[in-house]
Amino acid sequence: MAVTSTSQPRPPAAVWRRPLSALASGGAPLISFAFVLGIWTIVSLLKIVPETIFPSPWSVWFATIEMWQNGTMPNDLRVSLGRAAIGFAIGASLGVLLGLMTGRVAIVRTLLNPFLNLLRPIPAIALVPVAIVWFGIGEGSKYFVVSYTVFLTVWFNTHHGMQYVPGTYLRAARSLGASKLREFVTVIIPAAAPHIFAGIRLGVALAFLSLIAAELSGASSGLGFRLQEARQYIRTDRMFSLLIILGILGATVDYVVHRIGQKLVHWEQGQ
Amino acid sequence: MSDQPNVGRVQIDDVVIRFATKQGEMTALDRTRLVLEPGTFTALIGPSGCGKSTLMNAIAGFVTPSEGRLSLDGTPITGPSNDVGVIFQQYALFPWFTALGNVRFGLKQLGLSKAEEIDRARAALDEVGLSAHADKYPQQLSGGMKQRVAIARTFVVGPKVLLMDEPFGALDAQTRISMHSLLMGVWQKHRATVLFVTHDVDEALLLADDVRVMSQAPGRMIRHYNLTEPRPRAFSRSGPNLLEIREEILGLLRPDEDLIAT
Ligand SMILES: Nc1ncnc2c1ncn2[C@@H]1O[C@H](COP(=O)(O)OP(=O)(O)O)[C@@H](O)[C@H]1O
Ligand SMILES: [Mg+2]
Repeated sequence: MAVTSTSQPRPPAAVWRRPLSALASGGAPLISFAFVLGIWTIVSLLKIVPETIFPSPWSVWFATIEMWQNGTMPNDLRVSLGRAAIGFAIGASLGVLLGLMTGRVAIVRTLLNPFLNLLRPIPAIALVPVAIVWFGIGEGSKYFVVSYTVFLTVWFNTHHGMQYVPGTYLRAARSLGASKLREFVTVIIPAAAPHIFAGIRLGVALAFLSLIAAELSGASSGLGFRLQEARQYIRTDRMFSLLIILGILGATVDYVVHRIGQKLVHWEQGQ
Repeated sequence: MSDQPNVGRVQIDDVVIRFATKQGEMTALDRTRLVLEPGTFTALIGPSGCGKSTLMNAIAGFVTPSEGRLSLDGTPITGPSNDVGVIFQQYALFPWFTALGNVRFGLKQLGLSKAEEIDRARAALDEVGLSAHADKYPQQLSGGMKQRVAIARTFVVGPKVLLMDEPFGALDAQTRISMHSLLMGVWQKHRATVLFVTHDVDEALLLADDVRVMSQAPGRMIRHYNLTEPRPRAFSRSGPNLLEIREEILGLLRPDEDLIAT
């Protein structure tokens, strides 16, 4: 994209659209946050809803400082991120591996695909009771729920990516004398890579979702546990703080994964 | 290799190709018998859907004929190999490799040192006038440049036969003319047996030693012209011969077009 934009004259329509689109890409998020924060402040100042039900921005801010200073927040972040990362790593690598296999090997596909497709609609939360029976309330059950959820999504996308490898690429590779292995590694996998990355990006989002689901109902640390604890003390200020942290965390990780994906599958841009 | 006149003989013996479709079996290529002599340039021309690509795919080893046999220098063709190079109309360059990477792809099997592999690939790109674009990705190249990379990539592995399926069909007229002289140059150096599918009669007459005309689907060979005019050819200085053949071929292709239009 950057290659062409410098040399080609801009069509007239784009001239007036430019400041708008610059706003949309750069400044707009901040404007949107400021807008929502403004409304939130006004609602809080007007005291329409009791503070315990709907906390004000400043009490959420102080709750954050408090949790940070008493050490629970740094610890919860560390624990939750660790669980999400380990669960994600297990699930994503298994998902890519099996997706490559079901995508290419007919017998594996026949044996596993119908079963895996049956598992896909089961929500992560529904697995938590089973996970607790199997792995207890410790780390094992968290890893299980997260990796399972991530696995299914990454598998599904990888498998589909393999189905859409253009036949021309395979024909070109074979008539250039490529071995099966080289064809697989340097043609099929790159051709499926955009789909694999789409699956991984979804998997990252689901890792957080399923982790919080697991932590809410069977944990003694982590952001999900802290949310549940805040409910017992009716500390909505802490809940809001934790929710906002979760949002920022998720968006940041998603952005980073997206950028890494863009670097790795650079050829997919603008197509 | 390029001096041996006897490699690259393609023999097509009574080949029929049928496909199973929802409406039952359909014949994509009717009984075809054809020999492509080593080092010759054959243009294949015929109405759309008559089976030109199907015949190419069979020679390339992508499609197994329902009847008859295909052989290259006496050996039956059982699947794709680097003896038979293919250039597709939809540029089949790998978008995740640079131009150089695409050319290196075919060299991998030779077990060269990395330096030599790169040297050879660069030389091949140089031959098609693209040394300056070696590190660009296909998306950054024009249609003509992509097809030149495809030509370099195919010739660098030294195929005995080169199949080109409407390779310049998507290019503008100007680019196409420069591609013709480029292809002639590279071909005269490497001397593969070429089968070139086109729907452009002029292109066929300017490039080929033999022009084969196919019938409406299910296609079979209906006419053969052997052209001896020296290259580079031009209609303006060819005398009456090329122009007469051109009218004849257009005549062969035209009546059916009228039928389709009504
Ligand atoms: N793999 C296939 N399966 C079914 N039908 C096919 C297949 N490949 C080609 N055909 C059919 O065979 C006929 C000839 O196709 P093709 O060789 O592509 O024609 P051409 O290249 O001369 O335009 C067409 O009717 C096409 O739809
Ligand atoms: Mg065709």
